[in-house]
Amino acid sequence: MSRTVIIARKELVETFRDRRTMLMTLLTAALAGPLFLALIFNMIASQGERARTLALPVGGAEHAPALVAFLEREGARILPLPDDAEARIRAGDLDVALVVDPAFAKQAADGKPAKVRLIYDRSRDRARASIDQAESLLRAYSRLWGAQRMMVRGIAPTVAQPLDVVVEDLATPQQSGALVLFLVAYYGLFAAVMGGMPLALDATAGERERQSLEPLLATPASALEIVAGKWLAVAAFAALVVGVTLAGFYLTLSFAPLPPVGVPFLFGARELARFLVILLPMIALMPAILLWLGSRGRTIKEAQTNLSLLLFAVSIIPVVQLFMQRREPDWLVAVPVSGQYLLLNRALRGEALATGDLALSWVVPAALVAVALWAVARRYSNEAVLAGK
Amino acid sequence: MIAVEGLVKAFGRHGEVRAVDGVSFTAPAGEITGLLGPNGAGKTTLLRMLATLMAPDAGRATIDGRDVVADRAEVRRRLGVLSDARGLYPRLSGRENVEYYAALHGLAGRARAARVDALVERLGLAEIADRRAQGYSQGERMKVAIARALVHDPDTILLDEPTNGLDIMSVRSLREQLRGLRAAGKTLLFSSHVMQEVVALCDRIVILGHGRVVAIGTAAELMAQSGASSLEDAFVALLGSGEGLAA
Repeated sequence: MSRTVIIARKELVETFRDRRTMLMTLLTAALAGPLFLALIFNMIASQGERARTLALPVGGAEHAPALVAFLEREGARILPLPDDAEARIRAGDLDVALVVDPAFAKQAADGKPAKVRLIYDRSRDRARASIDQAESLLRAYSRLWGAQRMMVRGIAPTVAQPLDVVVEDLATPQQSGALVLFLVAYYGLFAAVMGGMPLALDATAGERERQSLEPLLATPASALEIVAGKWLAVAAFAALVVGVTLAGFYLTLSFAPLPPVGVPFLFGARELARFLVILLPMIALMPAILLWLGSRGRTIKEAQTNLSLLLFAVSIIPVVQLFMQRREPDWLVAVPVSGQYLLLNRALRGEALATGDLALSWVVPAALVAVALWAVARRYSNEAVLAGK
Repeated sequence: MIAVEGLVKAFGRHGEVRAVDGVSFTAPAGEITGLLGPNGAGKTTLLRMLATLMAPDAGRATIDGRDVVADRAEVRRRLGVLSDARGLYPRLSGRENVEYYAALHGLAGRARAARVDALVERLGLAEIADRRAQGYSQGERMKVAIARALVHDPDTILLDEPTNGLDIMSVRSLREQLRGLRAAGKTLLFSSHVMQEVVALCDRIVILGHGRVVAIGTAAELMAQSGASSLEDAFVALLGSGEGLAA
């Protein structure tokens, strides 16, 4: 058995014996998916619920009985307007309210636009479905009424409808749950970093802190063999954590009794396999970076400080991409983290993955793995690593 | 046999701290050579150069005729090192700690098991060998570290302050082990800042002060050389002061 394999095996044995760290790492990885999906689906479901039975407080309903009758016919539940309606909308207790102007009947009789006020707070995400529904009901009523007026005057209603807009939504079923997509990709990516962290720190800074590095370096194992063995162990463990995380999402989406919320979201065995393939460069790269950062610390605590920048970068990049409005440039696929996030999103949207893109997403991470491992090996062959206990 | 000739190692940006400054001595096989000196005399640096972990700035050292720089890999295979840093892996048992080093030295299968069993037996580790190392006492940890250093049956053994932090019983058992190795014809180099340790165990004593060899000889020769009536006085006289030494 080669020394690299001996070292990797020993690091893994040690990790699996650390029950508490193991349990925490694997449990959080397995539960992340189900927990977040439950929250999101709950949110989507309650939005759908609100939209289906729009509860609309109406003030001055007596001025526009025809409008109120239309709204009721369309399924809205008409409520009396509370006195503190605006305050309650601000507080988020009420989604939307309609106030009919006292001059409504007179304006309508004169053939002028009759005024109604729709009150809402658009900054509240939860209220958005109700707001949209109230607005579209009012628009529909306005159109209907206008058409009737024109017919009375002998004009075809189509005269006032110069545009015939036919909507064709090209979103495939997978594209609908954008937030769900983002979270699955985000967690898969993050698992590659977090998964290897405890082991990487223990194997580098921990080895130094425990004073077991010097005797190890005095064995016939070369610095490169030692570093390669440690990397192999960390990468294997990171792969396990990524696998558990994705399996959590897969099992939740396939088998959990989630509410039927109109997000025919696909994350089947095929997507799971594609995810793993896309994340492979990260499963290789992150452990190498973690080892490099860990080797720069004399104690685990010191190394943890070095890690914060990496964690920041990995957690912020996908968020930036989520908010980026423009289409991503083609070269982005070659950038570590960004490229993987991009490909994960494509995979989730059901798009085909070009082999060229996949290969490109490997180039930079593979080079960085080599550089990072070489740097750690150099550090371990440098006598400075023995200084300062 | 260890042969050291004019070995130099300096630290600091411009090499202004000469930790080891032209050290020469030989440590023959079948003897225990003691390296005595106060803290900061350069003992650990000297041993690290012999263990191939540091490269000398000048001079050369050979172990059984093999240069520690040029024949690094071969030297490592034949050298057992009990360094100043002797941490174990706390989640592995004592036996597994030793087996790991055996594997790194290329031992496998039945040969490895037999060798590890023999060491466990010889060092009296049978009772604790299968418990995790995190619960070990200082003495137990030391014994496992020795087993680890001896697992490939090296011809030359370097020990850096091996008695640090040990109780009397552990020190006695360590001495027995080292005498056993001497009887088997091994070359032993043993560093300490404790006079009694060195006197009780070593055939030859190399006294080190400020990175230089101050005197070399048996205990009797050193007393004669310094003209002192006790060994303690002899060391103080040779070093110029007793600072940093323990009785």
